[in-house]
Parts: sequence; structure tokens; C-alpha cells
Amino acid sequence: MIQVDERLLERIAKDKDFNAQACFNCGTCSALCPMGLGLLPRELFRYVLLGARDRLRELSDVIFSCLLCRLCEANCPRGVRITHNIRTLRSYLVKDEYRIL
Amino acid sequence: MEAKIGVFICYCGGNISDYVDCERVREAVSKEPGVVVAKTFMFTCSDAAQEEMIADIRKEGLNAIVIASCSPKLHLQTFRNMARRAGLNPYTYVQVNIREQCSWAHTHHKEAATRKAIRLVRAGIAKARLSIPLEPIKVKTTPAVLVVGAGVAGMRAALALADMGLEVHVVEREKAAGGWVKKWARVFPSGRPGEELVNTLLKGFEERENIYLYLETEVVEKRGSVGQFQVRLKGPQGEQEVEVGAIVVATGFSPYVPKEGEFAYGASGVLTLQELHALLKRGIEGRFVYAGREVRNVAFIYCVGSREKEGHTYCSRYCCTAAVYLGLLLAERYPEVKQFHFYRDMRTYGKYEIFYHNCLEKGAIFLRFEPPDVPKVEVAGERFFIRVKDRLTGGEEVEVPADLVVLVTGMVLSPNENLVNVLKLPVGKDAFFNEVHPKLRPVETVIDGLFIAGACQGPKNIAESVTSGLAAAAKIGALLLQKELRLEPLVAHVLKDRCTGCGECVAACPYEALSLKTEDGKQIAYLNPALCKGEGACVPVCPEEAIEIWGYGHEQIRSMIQGLCKEDL
Repeated sequence: MIQVDERLLERIAKDKDFNAQACFNCGTCSALCPMGLGLLPRELFRYVLLGARDRLRELSDVIFSCLLCRLCEANCPRGVRITHNIRTLRSYLVKDEYRIL
Repeated sequence: MEAKIGVFICYCGGNISDYVDCERVREAVSKEPGVVVAKTFMFTCSDAAQEEMIADIRKEGLNAIVIASCSPKLHLQTFRNMARRAGLNPYTYVQVNIREQCSWAHTHHKEAATRKAIRLVRAGIAKARLSIPLEPIKVKTTPAVLVVGAGVAGMRAALALADMGLEVHVVEREKAAGGWVKKWARVFPSGRPGEELVNTLLKGFEERENIYLYLETEVVEKRGSVGQFQVRLKGPQGEQEVEVGAIVVATGFSPYVPKEGEFAYGASGVLTLQELHALLKRGIEGRFVYAGREVRNVAFIYCVGSREKEGHTYCSRYCCTAAVYLGLLLAERYPEVKQFHFYRDMRTYGKYEIFYHNCLEKGAIFLRFEPPDVPKVEVAGERFFIRVKDRLTGGEEVEVPADLVVLVTGMVLSPNENLVNVLKLPVGKDAFFNEVHPKLRPVETVIDGLFIAGACQGPKNIAESVTSGLAAAAKIGALLLQKELRLEPLVAHVLKDRCTGCGECVAACPYEALSLKTEDGKQIAYLNPALCKGEGACVPVCPEEAIEIWGYGHEQIRSMIQGLCKEDL
């Protein structure tokens, strides 16, 4: 079960450029991903929107596997800034979760 | 008078003649008694054919005509007008449908189609032979209207009617006009408080001298018929009677009230859409606080009391947009409050899709559920936990903490059994009032002169309610500004010398057009022709054959059966 984590929601809300809300689940990103990543942008962002902190921790390998090639972003019909969002998540994981920096 | 009948048979450019041998039909019916002229045409509805028929009517001095072509739905008026132009009474013209009933229905069997056509045309001739010239029933109209319900639909209709020069009586059972809209914090799409809309309408009332508003008043009795109703009103000052030509019912809706425990309704912090409106209308300064505790998360649960498997099976239309719009208002006043919307299908249709979009952009989170997996609300001290299988996360179960739960409640009919009985309002299966035709006659009822408008007909938003109010006003204007109504004369009439006053027909009539009355010391049935629809329920129940429909007399029907049965094909 996904438990909504309010702190994560607040953290993401601070990033004005994180714009996954616009996603309407068309799946174009998933179809185009050259890595065939196990986790697809639309699913990942959905977890973020819901504040599913546990899921993000579990999926950090995938988040760091993205090539940032922007093939998905260039073709997103809703203008979701996918690579920016991925960078935000990496920054969140590094700073808030693993406290590496 | 000797019958002189013209029979005109249509090819319909092949639609009929490809399957029905029209020439054989003409041949077979031309020797029927009374037939003077029998012709075929490529298109009877064409101008040239009509001119030729008019010439025949005049030259041969015809006193009845039969046109065998398509459905009377299509060209009844066309040929009635043609008859009128030829100087023939339009009610001595008989339409026979050999297209839908013969050529189109029996494409696989041309011989049978032709034989059926012959029989039908013979029946038509038999009917025409006994036809009687009729005149429309004329009813003087009272230039006044009763509007029941002073919500936005009724008030807007009243203003429009008053501007047509009609006297308008507006009856409202509550202490103030404005209905539910008055209670709403902010209404879409204008963003104004509902009260402002109502005040604009009320100002219009004050500026017009021909609108009378009766508050805390109900309708207790209705007599008469279209053009001339007498209505008795009961208010704080006692009873009074008004004379009106038409009635608009705009009694609106009631918000659905959840059952105790439905999504934890009854617990402090679980509100309906109406209760949230009231809360936001009162306004809260500073932070969003409810019942002494700060609200950080708000959960909206959609489709409460709508689209149920049994009961309220319909979609209430306005609630998705209303909830999203209130979400925007919340986001504007309390940007730090997080919103979770649990919806089934987002129906912010038409121009209002933008509000859903805006709400998403404001950061509201939408979770989609599908019955039977509806959200479960758990009360945990001062907080709530809502658990749902979210379709947008691949059906995974999500648990959302919330401080306030808003049940997005739908519309049900505002109960008013008394009014339904007094006005004989037709009620549909969803308990809302029924129109004659949802697309083509959306504000008329089966009772002439009785109209419905607004949410009493089914869930509507404000714009739709006002539109239907104006539609009713336009229909009434067209009706009452004529000063004299001309009604179809194909209604029942009582044969006084045969009637024994048994009352069977009175009980059979669904329109209350029949009653018993004493005439020359004898009790007989009396018919109000303005109420009669010519439906004919009274005819077969009469043991004395003492009631019949003009244009469908007993002799005519018998003679039609003879015509149908004749075996000379």
C-alpha cells in the first residue's frame, strides 16, 4: 500500500518547475525510452505526486539509470519537463534521503 | 352529399414504385364508389404535382382526397395546406402511408407489398368517403403566466415573460427568492457569489410592474386548460385565485443527503458540497481552520448520490465542475492546503474543462476509482484516512490522510408531492419531471400549457437552467401572444342522445378532459375539447358507443375495415 507522505509532497511543491501534474498518462514517454527502463516516467511521476516516499527509495536505481536523452520530453504532448523532473528527484534522493551531500 | 373523391398515388421517385406497382394500385382503386379521379405522380409533394392536384380538386369539384405516399409525420401539413389552397377543408384529406408501411417494409415481396398498398388505399378511400369538414377549436388566451419556483430558472423565465408584456405571477414556497444559487459561495464560470446573480434578477423584478412575487405561497388547485387556467394560491395572507394562460414549473432540485455513515458522513469534518459552500461563504480569516483544528489536507469524494447501481442511477452533471471550481477557490484562498480528488470520471464538460486543467496545475491530486472499489473513509481521532485502489497508479492501493472530507453530492428532485398532484405533473423514472421529447420538445409536458424548466426536469447547472427557463418563456410567448389559440379538432365528442352518464369514459381519460354533468335533467359525460388529446382511451370503454373522435368516427372505422378486407386485388 502507498502511504502518502506529506513531507515529500511539501518538498516537491517547493520546486516550481516540477510539472508532472500535466501528465495525462498517454504512454508516449514509455514507448520511446531507449533504455526500456523498468520504471516508466509516467509511473514514476505518479508516485512522486502521491508522495509515495517508500516507492521512491525502492526505485532509486532506475531513477539514476535514466540517460537524460530527452527523447520522451521532446515528444510529450503535455509539455512535461521530464528530464528536469528526474534531476529534481535525484537531488531529493541525494540530499533528503541518503544525505550524501 | 355525394362523395367526390380524388386519389393521388406517389412513386416517391422509386422509393415506393420500385416495390409497389403503383399503376396496379391506381387501377384497383379507381372503381371504388365515390372515386372521381385516380392518378399517379413521381413526387406528390412536388410543386408541379400539387398544382395539378389543386386543379383537379377545382375542376372535378372534389369534396375529399386521399394521398397515398409517405408517413403523415413528413407531409401531413404540406397536403393540408395544399387542400386549403384548393378551397377544400383540410380535414377531408386522408393520408395513406404506402412507403414506410409497404415498399420499405416488404422489399423482399413486391406482390405482397402491392396487395397491401391496395388494401390500405381502399381503407383510406372508405375513411374519406365519410369525412366531415372540421374547423380548428378556438380558445381565447389570458395574457398572464404562473411561474412556480423562484430559483434562477423561474426568475429568468419570469423576466423574459414580463418583457413580452405578459402579467407574471411568481410563486415561491420559501421565505426568499433565489433557491440554492443564493446559498453558493462562488459559481462557475463567472466567479461571482451566487447571491449576486440572484440580486441581479431580483432587481429586474423590482424594475418591472407586471411581475408579482408571492413568497411562502403554494399552489393548491388548478382548473381550466391551455390559454385559460384558474389557479388557487395559498399564502400567509390566505387564499387567492389567479387567471393565467400558461404555467411554468421551475421547482428545482434538492441536494442529495448522504445516509448516516456513508463515507463517514455524520462525523465532524465530513461535509457535503452544499456544506462546503456555506463554510466558504461565511469565510475564514487567515489559516483554514475547521472545528478548531487546522486543515492541511482536503479530500473530495465524487459521485456521492449519483450514478448509483440502484436508486439515483443518473449523473448529476454539475457536481464535477462545482467541486473542481471550489477546489480552485480553496487553492486561491489557502494555497498551502493540499487537495486530493477521488473521482470516477471527470465530467467537467464543454467550456468548463479548463477548470479541471487549472485545478491540476494548482497541484491538486486526482485519484480515480471504479466501483465496486469505492474509497473507504476511516475516522482516526481528528483525522481521516481515505483508502482507495487508484486506477491512475495501476490499481495500487493508496492511503491519503485528510483533515476535511467533502462529499461531492448530486441532485435529487425537490420533493413536492402536493404540486405533482395539483398540476398532474408527469414524473419520470428518476423522479424528475418529464418533458414530451428530450431533444425536440424539451420544456413542454404532455399537458398543453404546462411547461417545465430548470433542474426539476433533471440535473442542470445554472447556465442550463436559465436556458431552459428562457426556452419555456419563448414557447409561452408564442402561445399566449396570439390572443387566440387554434387547436387540432381531432378530439372526442359525446353523442348526447346515446350517453347514459355511466362515467366509464371519465375514468379512462388520462388527461381529465371528461367529467360528468347534468343537462336537461339527465347526467351525461361532458368533454373539454382543449384538454382532449384525441387519444381515444374513452372510445372502446363506452358501452353505448356514445363517444367518438372527430375524424375517426365509428362508421368511418367500420367502413375502413370493410375496405381493408375487400378481396379484389
